[in-house]
Amino acid sequence: MRYKKIVTDFFILMALTTNISFITGPNSYELVITVAANLAATILKVGEGRVLSTEMLASSLVADLHLIPALFLYHMGDPQEAMGLAQGALAANVISVIISIIETIISAFTEEEE
Amino acid sequence: MAKLRRKLRKRIKPRKREPKLVEIYERRLIEALKEFRIPLLMLHTAISVGTIGYMLLSGGDFINSFYMTIITIGTIGYGEIVSGSDTLYGRVFTSFLALMGIGVFTTSVTVIVRVFFKEDIIKLYRAIRMLREIEELEGHYIICGYDKTSAWLANLLKKRKIEFVVIDSREEAMKFLQEHNIKYFIIEEPHRRSVLQSAGIRRARGMIVNLGDDAKNIAVIVTARLVRPSKEEFYIYSFASTDGTADKLEELGANRALVPSKLLATRLASYIFHTGSAFISDLFDRIAFGEETDIDILELKVEPGSPLVGKKLKDIDLRRALKVTVIAIRKPDGYLDVTITGETTVEEGDTLIIFGQPKNLRKAQKILLEEAYSVLERER
Repeated sequence: MRYKKIVTDFFILMALTTNISFITGPNSYELVITVAANLAATILKVGEGRVLSTEMLASSLVADLHLIPALFLYHMGDPQEAMGLAQGALAANVISVIISIIETIISAFTEEEE
Repeated sequence: MAKLRRKLRKRIKPRKREPKLVEIYERRLIEALKEFRIPLLMLHTAISVGTIGYMLLSGGDFINSFYMTIITIGTIGYGEIVSGSDTLYGRVFTSFLALMGIGVFTTSVTVIVRVFFKEDIIKLYRAIRMLREIEELEGHYIICGYDKTSAWLANLLKKRKIEFVVIDSREEAMKFLQEHNIKYFIIEEPHRRSVLQSAGIRRARGMIVNLGDDAKNIAVIVTARLVRPSKEEFYIYSFASTDGTADKLEELGANRALVPSKLLATRLASYIFHTGSAFISDLFDRIAFGEETDIDILELKVEPGSPLVGKKLKDIDLRRALKVTVIAIRKPDGYLDVTITGETTVEEGDTLIIFGQPKNLRKAQKILLEEAYSVLERER
């Protein structure tokens, strides 16, 4: 079992699920947890030398750049704009999960070959 | 499904080839970046725990909670800014956060700075960028080994605006390369095929092998010849310690191997033999060595189909038309005719030795080659 992959995939999924839960039920704590999960996922993707790592890191950075301003906007009195940004981040997180699944399939095939 | 698996395997199956130098460097950069993960995660955890903790204490005041966390773990400590932090629970939380956070903050910053300098990330990034730029070069030269001779050579090539890549395995050579403003260089063993390929050997015009050791020179020449076997398309010049070694190097693939001490002695002897006329005696040498910048010499082969074939020199009149002079003609059998007149007829396969100013020579070469090409096109 690869514990590193479990941790990385956990945070990638966590970023998506918390993002969805913030959109369905906007909450101050939910947004902070979403940002924390997203940032953790980004840090774990830094320095990954796999096939689609650059795409994964790029999609994660997009999500971060949506969510961090959303966090400040939400607490500065513009929750509507924060919600819009969080929805943008959701798109990036969905793509991130899809890339992660493709990456898993590719690595399964290459491992079989080796 | 099985078909799809086969197709995917075929696609994904890695090709077995020696990795490019740029790929090795990129892998090293990725490995170096990986070391940032743990300190960054530690810092991230401390900030997240602190912010959420203060938010719970204050009832959701994110901005102040974040600020309070930063000033606590950053050892600034302006005071208890968040409401609820001055309560009993708040002080217990702040104490634990400070105990954990300050350690995490200082450790993380130290590790990040250490990794940054130890792995020399900037140097690695610059090397990758340089290799990417080298990939764009074409018709350049490769200089293996950087010593005083190579430095002089680099200087002369720079003056003529000829691009070149220096390869040297010694780390200390890098200091001189940077001091001498050498644009492209690779600090690796030059006898490795991947290194030569990264220096663009497949697109290069020639190579100078000057490693100060005959065995090393041989290793590089042989490797280079395996990649570029044709002596006409890729020139290799090298240095040898003795005449015998020079012959061996030429047999192994060098177009020309020079014995530096012999070369120097020959030149000095020419001064001694022509004491009274030193200017004329080494005029050709100086032209060939690029020391006479106002005059240059060019060999122009008369290819089949060239408009010059069958014409007399006086009819071509290059002196008036292009301001260059034909001083000799080398016949296909190697005989050098220096007694040419206006009546001499140019034949197919002749090589015209043309004398003149560099810019006029370049112009003449361009025009004459273009004319030959257009004649051939018409005949087709």
